[in-house]
Amino acid sequence: MIAPTDLELPEPGRDGGAPEGEVPADLRRWQLPRGRHGLPRELVDQSQRERLLASVIRVTAAKGYRASSVADILKEAGVGRETFYRHFKDKEDCFVAANDALLGDLESQVATAYEEPGAWPARVRQGLAAALDWLAAEPDLARVMMAEMGTVGPIASSRFRETFRRFTSVLDDSSEVVPKAREIPNLALIAGGAVFARVYEEVTLGNVEKLPQMLPQLTFELLLPYVGEEAAASERQAAEKEVTRKAGAQ
Amino acid sequence: MQQQSEAATQPGVLTPTVPWDIGERSQRQRILGAMASSTAEKTFAGTTIADIVGHASISRATFYKHFANKRECFDATVESFLSELWQAAAEVRSTDDLPAEAIRKAATAGLQRMAKKPAHAKLVLIEAPSVNPAIVRSYRDALIDVLERELNLERATNGADPGIAVGRAKVLLADFLAADRAKELPSLVPEIVYIALLPYVGQEAALQQAGLGA
Repeated sequence: MIAPTDLELPEPGRDGGAPEGEVPADLRRWQLPRGRHGLPRELVDQSQRERLLASVIRVTAAKGYRASSVADILKEAGVGRETFYRHFKDKEDCFVAANDALLGDLESQVATAYEEPGAWPARVRQGLAAALDWLAAEPDLARVMMAEMGTVGPIASSRFRETFRRFTSVLDDSSEVVPKAREIPNLALIAGGAVFARVYEEVTLGNVEKLPQMLPQLTFELLLPYVGEEAAASERQAAEKEVTRKAGAQ
Repeated sequence: MQQQSEAATQPGVLTPTVPWDIGERSQRQRILGAMASSTAEKTFAGTTIADIVGHASISRATFYKHFANKRECFDATVESFLSELWQAAAEVRSTDDLPAEAIRKAATAGLQRMAKKPAHAKLVLIEAPSVNPAIVRSYRDALIDVLERELNLERATNGADPGIAVGRAKVLLADFLAADRAKELPSLVPEIVYIALLPYVGQEAALQQAGLGA
């Protein structure tokens, strides 16, 4: 339910101003330069948009998607209703945009790790490690992205599917996939599905922080259909070493 | 919607008034069908009791005669479709089949059912994992139990996890359903056989027994 006070519009003067309070660490990536007097309109717009994106994620993490209202998002962002509707059609549009931004960020982290020089299975392991670390570092974001996705509607879930497809199609493109594996239809879904299903389950169970420890098993399961037992197991070993090394460093 | 076979799985009602009994059962089936259609359209979270009674052409009072709330109705729909799949798979089983053949037959029967009832399949594969993870875990365990106890498959030494195999299958089928490609589900039988065998017989044998990469 929307409390009557939530429906009050913020004062017009707050538009473009700094939001009250600190931006939580998990959303610091969106703490871009805020609109100030003298800044070009585009920059102010950009900053307002970023703040609304951060706000919809925070509000969704706290209240759940369906219970959140546009009023909640405005309040959290310190932005006026008019501004909101200049950027977004409705709550769903704003949420989908925020998710796109998050997925884009996750994707670029994974791509950076995957593009490092090295043998293909090792690059797959590093890409996977980057994804698990990204999710574990920001449990609220992971939960909002995955668990709330289903409640949002068809658009959000089709975006999610597209992204998943993009992740996995990169794997399919590799010339190092053993020829026999090429005979498996839907290979990328079968390989990537191992990771996706397990990650989804752990996120919904609230075990996001445990994801990085699952790197060895998930590396093995991800690579298995592509390269077979032996190569997948040797990468699992490398992943075990990495997990041990990280645990020691902490 | 074809729901006739679900009625057979309902617990028997011990009243001799057959017409009344049939009415109750078909009403319940209609509600479950309505839950599936509405969820496929608007997700579980977006579905209201009004949507369900609208789809089922029943009164709100009738809905509450069968279910206390939306969630109870959802769970009943999941259980009902799962037992329908289970039954379809059991019907084609023969004790002499080798594991690969048994899986192939069961997968064929199950995927055909899902292709015929895409809304129910979506509810079980796309919605249930977030709405009721416990049900999903219990059917995963039941599937693994069949593979290991009834088909006597032994886990391969490679350390692949059968629970993850179920996850692979779920993601594969969910992807087809979400893309409105339910009709193509029966073509995924070789993949399902491969996925199911992978943690037990290993990559080479799984490919071969699934008829892939021969």
